[in-house]
Amino acid sequence: MTIYSIALSNLKRRKIKALFLAVGLAVGVATVVALFSIVQAMRLELGDRIDEFGANIVIVPRWEGMELTYAGTHVSGITFDIQRLTEEDLARIDTIADRNSVNIISPKLVGAVVADGRRALLVGVDTRREFTMKRWFTLREQAGLASGQKPGDLALLEIPEDQVLLGSAASRALGRKAGDTVVMGEREFTVFGVLNETGSQEDGLIFANLAVTQELLGRSGEFSLIELSAYCNFCPVEEIVAQLNAAIPGGRTTALRQAALLREETIDSFSSLGFALSGVVLAVAALAVLTTMLASVHERTREIGIFRAVGFRRAHVSAIIVLEAILVSIPAGLAGFLAGGLTAQLAGPYLAQMQVAVPWQGGLLVPSMVLSSGLAAAAAAYPALKAARLDPVEALRFI
Amino acid sequence: MTEVLITMKELTKTYKSGNDEVQALRGVSLDINRGESVAVMGQSGSGKSTLLSIIGGLNPPSSGRIEIDGIDLYALSQEKRADFRREYLGFVFQQFQLIPYLTAQENVMLPLTTTGYSGRKKREMAEKVLCRVGLAGKMNRLPSQLSGGEQERVAIARAIVNEPPLVLADEPTGSLDSRTGEEIMELFTGLNREGLTVVMVTHNPENTRYMDRTILMQDGRLADNSADVLKLRTAGKRC
Repeated sequence: MTIYSIALSNLKRRKIKALFLAVGLAVGVATVVALFSIVQAMRLELGDRIDEFGANIVIVPRWEGMELTYAGTHVSGITFDIQRLTEEDLARIDTIADRNSVNIISPKLVGAVVADGRRALLVGVDTRREFTMKRWFTLREQAGLASGQKPGDLALLEIPEDQVLLGSAASRALGRKAGDTVVMGEREFTVFGVLNETGSQEDGLIFANLAVTQELLGRSGEFSLIELSAYCNFCPVEEIVAQLNAAIPGGRTTALRQAALLREETIDSFSSLGFALSGVVLAVAALAVLTTMLASVHERTREIGIFRAVGFRRAHVSAIIVLEAILVSIPAGLAGFLAGGLTAQLAGPYLAQMQVAVPWQGGLLVPSMVLSSGLAAAAAAYPALKAARLDPVEALRFI
Repeated sequence: MTEVLITMKELTKTYKSGNDEVQALRGVSLDINRGESVAVMGQSGSGKSTLLSIIGGLNPPSSGRIEIDGIDLYALSQEKRADFRREYLGFVFQQFQLIPYLTAQENVMLPLTTTGYSGRKKREMAEKVLCRVGLAGKMNRLPSQLSGGEQERVAIARAIVNEPPLVLADEPTGSLDSRTGEEIMELFTGLNREGLTVVMVTHNPENTRYMDRTILMQDGRLADNSADVLKLRTAGKRC
């Protein structure tokens, strides 16, 4: 006969109450596990999606610059010692330690051209890489489509070398639409399509094949900038930036802080919501434990009086109450873990409107048990204290 | 030579009931010898159960002093008094007061729960006293599977399992038929002969025949050695 066997025997006798207690705890743990799993999956998915969609690292040619006041005249933007980005620099990106974290590399060349007699900015890109990285570019119109057919996904379309894409503003300025031709540097290009308006300066650009642009601008093998998209759920962007700066001496690599901040803020908002919801559900579970244990102590007043009369210390009485709660909390923690994991897998994609499955978080088993036991012990503390403070004379109705 | 086990001096106990004060004990002084059996009688509200709870270390007196085996009981802390009860006292309560979800053997082992004995030793001690009270074959039964007399025997076994020098009993035969009551009183007598000091609160004058001494309480005081007490005692002891 031990304190443990007394607690266990009482639980066996009061099966319904023990079950009620276990269900309360299991629901609390299940909610936390489900929300945590969903939020974690959202973190991964959101992070991946944002990282895939937009560049978060940019490499530009290294240059030195200064401002000067000469003979009373302010001269700004004096640049010198301008480096160039080349095909060799692309190869150097492959040498960095965190290369596997880099998802998309999109080099481009920007230059001014005369298109149909008007000056315009031409951007040479690898169209598939560029438009996979920048999903906000979409086609408003596309050449060769039958009536009623919708323009395709830019990231999936192969744009021939003799064709170009026009930004909405460029389309207006040149007076050209999909299927028309544009002459640049004595070469004739067909307009593959016109982009939807983005409201940015990019609306005024002409997009063409990178190699063709290099040839047109007479800058073969050269790039104006290289944009990179890195998966950064598990890699620090700053670390990749440092590696790239070391690997490419002719380039200056910077992280697009805004994109990183946006990602963090969005994920933090989801996490905060998850924590707040978990907190509320846990508080309700703790309340259920508290009220059930208090009722149990009230019912067992006389029994507690007997324990005290036969020589149990206050601590022994408290230990019985807390131990009962903990004994219930162990299967409850396990059940909560399983139910929460299952809920996250089944309902998670619908609740969070995610396109990926929520992974099974086996690592949450031990924390679930600890959470369940800790919550039960904390909620049982007051009833245990109350039981320990019961006056044995009152309890036994000696008076 | 008789040795005093319990010394009570000018014990008083006052309870508050709303704005009123109820004086349950009004200056009780009494000595009880080691190995003595004492019946405490009196009408309801005379203070006999209060006296028993004070002797049991459960209810501090409002004033006065009580020593058991030379130990000033209420000079001890609450937790030390719990240890004292475990080592010095056995309780037999009204209505048996067994734990319903524990078997007879487990109920008997209850006072041993917080001792350092091994599980095997505890079981052996419980088996021994259950045999002593005639329940060798019913150790694994729950209280609900035992008769009233058997439950009372389990309660007595629980009171003596830790081999205390003193057993306090509150109306032990109150809920038993007369024949079973007599069997229980004979059991107490046997234990008393083995050296156990017994203090028993009872309403039943018949029970006093089994005791060495009977104390009558009236309005929180010990009655004088009145004719009533003497009359009760003249019935004589049967065992």
